[in-house]
Amino acid sequence: MGGLDPEERAAWISLSLVEGVGLLTFGRLVGHFGGAAPALAAIRAGRLGPLAAELRLRHVVRAALVQAAADPQSLQTPLRRLGLWTLTPLDERWPARLRGLADPPVTLHGWGEVASLEAVRAVAVVGTRRPTPAGRLLASRLGDRLAEVGVVVVSGLAIGIDGAAHAAVVARGGRTVAVIGAGHRAPGPRAHRRLMRDIVDSGGAVVSELGPLAAATRGTYPRRNRILSGLADTVMVVEAPARSGAINTAHHALEQGRNLLVAPGRPGEVRTAGCLRLLRETEARPLIGLDEALADAGIDPRLALAPGPEASPRRHAEPGQEGLGPAERAVAQRLGAGPADLDQLVAATGLAPATVASALGLLQLRGWAQASGATYLPAGPLLAGA
Amino acid sequence: MLATLITAVIDGLDGALIRVEVDVAPGLPSCHIVGLPDAALSEARERVRAAVRNAGYDYPASRITVNLAPADRRKRGAAYDLAIAVGILVASGQLRAGGGPLALLGELSLDGSIRPVAGVLPMVATLVRRGHRRVGVPSPNVGEARLVAGVEAYGLDGLDDAVRLVAGPRGRRAQAATRRPPVLVSAPTAGGLGEVAPPVDPASAEAVDLADIRGQAAARWALEIALAGGHNLLMVGPPGAGKTLLARTIPGLLPPLGPSEALELAVIESVAGLLGPEPTLRRARPFRAPHHTSSYVAVVGGGPRLMPGLVSLAHRGVLFLDELAEFDRFVLDALRQPLEEGTIHLARASGQVTYPARVQLVAAMNPCRCGYDGDPEVACRCGLNEPERYQRKVSGPLLDRLDLRVELRRVPPADLLSSGPAEASRVVAERIAAARARALARNQGLVNAELVGTSLVRAARLGGAARERLSELATATGLSARATHRLLRVARTIADLAGLEAVEEPSILAAAALRSGDGGSLGRLAA
Repeated sequence: MGGLDPEERAAWISLSLVEGVGLLTFGRLVGHFGGAAPALAAIRAGRLGPLAAELRLRHVVRAALVQAAADPQSLQTPLRRLGLWTLTPLDERWPARLRGLADPPVTLHGWGEVASLEAVRAVAVVGTRRPTPAGRLLASRLGDRLAEVGVVVVSGLAIGIDGAAHAAVVARGGRTVAVIGAGHRAPGPRAHRRLMRDIVDSGGAVVSELGPLAAATRGTYPRRNRILSGLADTVMVVEAPARSGAINTAHHALEQGRNLLVAPGRPGEVRTAGCLRLLRETEARPLIGLDEALADAGIDPRLALAPGPEASPRRHAEPGQEGLGPAERAVAQRLGAGPADLDQLVAATGLAPATVASALGLLQLRGWAQASGATYLPAGPLLAGA
Repeated sequence: MLATLITAVIDGLDGALIRVEVDVAPGLPSCHIVGLPDAALSEARERVRAAVRNAGYDYPASRITVNLAPADRRKRGAAYDLAIAVGILVASGQLRAGGGPLALLGELSLDGSIRPVAGVLPMVATLVRRGHRRVGVPSPNVGEARLVAGVEAYGLDGLDDAVRLVAGPRGRRAQAATRRPPVLVSAPTAGGLGEVAPPVDPASAEAVDLADIRGQAAARWALEIALAGGHNLLMVGPPGAGKTLLARTIPGLLPPLGPSEALELAVIESVAGLLGPEPTLRRARPFRAPHHTSSYVAVVGGGPRLMPGLVSLAHRGVLFLDELAEFDRFVLDALRQPLEEGTIHLARASGQVTYPARVQLVAAMNPCRCGYDGDPEVACRCGLNEPERYQRKVSGPLLDRLDLRVELRRVPPADLLSSGPAEASRVVAERIAAARARALARNQGLVNAELVGTSLVRAARLGGAARERLSELATATGLSARATHRLLRVARTIADLAGLEAVEEPSILAAAALRSGDGGSLGRLAA
């Protein structure tokens, strides 16, 4: 299969979008008939029978294939309607990292910049959907630091660790790729709609191997994890209980020969039990600090690549502490030392709750702090000092 | 022979005048009560007969007809017993009325003694308004009757007392006048006020003082704002964080009731039969804390006699719902009307009434079933979507009515021991009272939580910078109009607590920070 054959490419995409055709069926069809376009032609000619019997295709799938062969173009309408681009392994821009995978996706649909998938350096940051404030902070700091040195951060757009990492990258003006486990018509959690727009607006991408109309099911999230780890050179796990998507991603990373860094947790703590197990039972290395993590990921911070010229820092436009009063500065200073709730901020600054809250309001509005339950976390420029 | 007496009936929180006409005529001995009586009233026949006999009078062996006018009004209860009995005595010639016009209220016991009834206060108020200033009421109720201005109230212990009162000095004396004469208790002071209640209400005596609560700066502050502005408050936190303890400081923090507010509340309590024998107008605002297993009727009101529920008994005060998510969904949904309109309308087969229910809602709940979602120390045992599901048990429209939400965390043991004495309730209560007074003066008698639309914008007196900041916030966080108003109301109270005329930038930012935990405003920035 050399060069770009538009007809084959269109047939490839259409065939991949047929409902009920998974990786296995797709592979057999393409393998048996010698390509996607020949497969569709054969189905049109009524030669599907023997193979269908061999593959034990259900009737609905056979009917869907016959219908798709008759009108392959209509399957691609949702792609156009949602403004998605599609990559296939036939394309030159198919991410090089995916070519080495044992079970690569057949297609990749996405919003945003294809270039973000081809970044020289890419690191995945994953973890639980219900992190502790400390875990959320670590994810933010990783995202912030990685963005600062020009690394593309890959994650899963879930709430919790994923969201914190994505948001920190966006706030720093860096590029980040979200690999979602559903179709683009209903992508990710509703709370992250805005974050998703920000990711696309700041030069990143939101991608999925599933057709745009596909719904998330039990199986789609674990399967997308192989793409998540596959698109990165290094996978960093922040907080993960024993059975979790993040652990699943970590195992994919190991199988794919990716570098695996895991933030250790406290023995006996359920929310990080999976991390400790990874450290004990695999060749994962502990993530003990930002600089060490960069070093272990093979990133020399001195060779920091400037973030893409089109990406501009969002929200906290003004660097330094201009526009902040003494109260804001005092609160910022305390937050820079780590997460704190209002009680701790009041105690540390000696200011009245109303003054502290007002300062927190401004810091949050500027993107220098964020709330996680009763706890406030540093964000944006404060992450560097944390 | 015909006798006519005046009594009254309860209709919601109002009394209505009832004329009792008794006719005793020759015929087969019988007694008919006409004029839409309910079961309790039909049984009056039996009570009256026994009471009349046992008090030493003759029950006429004639045809007795009792009419309760107006005939189209449904009558319930036993407060007419006394009027019917006296009417029979007059109509049968055993008693000649000589004491001047008199209205009678009271239920009879079979031995002729008089039992207290509910709703004396509004009934007496109606009688006085309609020109019947002389009223005989059961002795235990005379205290509440005298809360009405201009009343001449007599406490009655038995049928004899009533007879003596009706007869007057020149009338026929009772045959067995062994009891002491009825006591006249008239309303002494203007404005319908009895004696001033002792400054310490039993409720506030049990109240916890804020000085005894360690840490929880955010929650203390939120509570102060809520009470100063009348905002509904939701406290979310793990078990043992101190939500309930904090709520128990509320009685000691609330500003006292005004005289007219106290009278409104006394009327409700009278209808519910909760005014004791020596009622005084209360100064402490009511604080009602129904358990989460409380029934719909207990909280909302209703039942066969359409009694007011706790939401009405907490009128002008605080309704505290601990474990909000554990309450019956129907109970919570029924609270929406009181929270929006300050009244609760009960429509049942037995009739319709509207009770006042201007309550401030303070609620507390765990973040999830096990209570530890988001706790930095203890891992939550709930499933991934469990916290969301748990919080969804409280409906969106109700959550919309909660101006303030504050997250509590467990106070580490070290903090419990180390931190110095916290501010006492007395100090905080003074600030609350001052802020509230400032708001009431500016808002024409409304607390900030009751401000809407134009009145809110006018009360906020936003300057240019503050206006800009507010619209920046609203845009950045995608606030709805309703959420923006909520923010502004809270900011108005924060400014009132700081003694500011206008809502300035810091108050707006602080209000935004307060609700940030739930993604209501700034929380959306974080995600």
